[in-house]
Amino acid sequence: MNMKGCVSRTELGRMFAEATQLIRSQNEILSQLDSQCGDGDHGTTMMRVMEVLEGAIGSSSNERNLSETLRQAGWTVMNVDGGASSALLGSFIAGMGNTELGDEIDCAALAKSLETGLQSVQKQTKARPGDKTMMDALVPAVEAFGKAAASGKSISEAMNDAAVAAETGAASTSYLVARHGRAKYLGEKTLGCPDAGATSMALLFRGFSVALAAVKES
Amino acid sequence: MQMKKFLNDPKDVVRELLEGYVLAFPDKVKLSGAGTVVRVAPKASGKVRLVTIGGSGHEPGLSGFVGKGMLDVSVAGEIFAAPGAPKCVDALRDACKEGSSALLIVLNHAGDVLSANIAMEIVQRERLPVKMVLTEEDISGPVGDRRGLVGCVAVYKVAGAAAELGASLDECAEVAQRMANNMRTLAVAVRTATHPATGHPIFELGDDEMEIGMGQHGEAGTGRMKLKSADETAEIMLEKLLEDLDAKESDELLVLLNGAGSTTLMELFLIFRRVAQLLQIKKIKLVRSAIGEFITTQEQAGFQMMIARMDAELIRLWDEPADAPFLARP
Repeated sequence: MNMKGCVSRTELGRMFAEATQLIRSQNEILSQLDSQCGDGDHGTTMMRVMEVLEGAIGSSSNERNLSETLRQAGWTVMNVDGGASSALLGSFIAGMGNTELGDEIDCAALAKSLETGLQSVQKQTKARPGDKTMMDALVPAVEAFGKAAASGKSISEAMNDAAVAAETGAASTSYLVARHGRAKYLGEKTLGCPDAGATSMALLFRGFSVALAAVKES
Repeated sequence: MQMKKFLNDPKDVVRELLEGYVLAFPDKVKLSGAGTVVRVAPKASGKVRLVTIGGSGHEPGLSGFVGKGMLDVSVAGEIFAAPGAPKCVDALRDACKEGSSALLIVLNHAGDVLSANIAMEIVQRERLPVKMVLTEEDISGPVGDRRGLVGCVAVYKVAGAAAELGASLDECAEVAQRMANNMRTLAVAVRTATHPATGHPIFELGDDEMEIGMGQHGEAGTGRMKLKSADETAEIMLEKLLEDLDAKESDELLVLLNGAGSTTLMELFLIFRRVAQLLQIKKIKLVRSAIGEFITTQEQAGFQMMIARMDAELIRLWDEPADAPFLARP
């Protein structure tokens, strides 16, 4: 393990386990948020998606490198039938695998991996920050991680920056009017409550951060 | 309001409804993998296969239109949620076996388009002969951002007939696109539905109100107003549709009325009567019609009115035989 810490298969599994745990504990709140702007099933959908994801990463074998593992996990998530949530989250995870990853992911490689994940989502949706979607949390999180990695921060510090950026982005969606997906038809009525997709994205990064806080720097 | 539906475990709804559906029409449809409905007697190899995708909870749509002269494959998602891209890829790969090609017909809804685009990217990389047509005819949205509503049924019908007659993939796609370009739909809702998984109403509407422009999942429309009579409602909706289609004297129209789930056929006949009268006054020809429940939203009350400008070929294809469980003609 180098100065700035690395993520191996074990830590990658832990990241998704922590994120799943967090989303499970908040699933009713996610559904409540969704019922104000959507059809009220975001919490149960995300729980299903995360459990599949946790299983796919956790049970992955060493025969596949981490890029292939992520690509395969993303594909499995897309098959959950969770509508846009699973398609986009699946694209993100599969896209993370578009970066060549060895058995150990260092801070710079994780930054690159998150970046290719984001690119893969951006290819599938026209939603951009400000539209009151998951992108309001995802885009600043990936940017914050990249900036932290470039400035020489450790992998756990960088992930904490990403989680804070995702949380700030998710909270800001309260002040936004939905301009994308099914919620856009509600227009002004979406003001005042944060977007469920952005909120679950913030929980995902917070889960990653909790898991990586345990990555010791030598 | 307490949900009153005959359900088992809500998380099994989709699997159970599809199992029940194929058991009810064993000579016509069967399941091919979880959530994918196909014809029992496949089309002759080499002919174009029609594939559609979409969420469940809208029965008989979309799987009800799998059958001779219509769809070959319907990939069903969870309640009101698009099926995942991998299932769509599998369906397209299967459809392209034995030298056939596939036309993917997708209703414009965020989740469906996402899955369809991901699937198309993959099958095109594999160089499979697949084309996609998007239906986006709901005039309550701005051009370029319109939902796909019941008009997809007309697209299935004409493109399905063309495929059965041996048209090429390009020809089928052209016919489907022409139908899609020439149709317009507007929906009205008067009472909400409950989501079978969550038990919650999917939107709120006052007892004495109606909302024009309501989407298939209770997405808010543009015109909330006091409940109007059948004649008045027909007039308001038809006017908007004719204007958007830029329909002119002696144009030939197909009119389709689609009940949302608990609006009675009685009411739909009242609406249709007024539509026919108005078209006669305007000297616009009502050449074909369809009325009933095609794509529902649970027990929502309301309906979708679809009009389409027909040409001779579209009329001929509309009249071709079909044998799907929920759309059959000799």
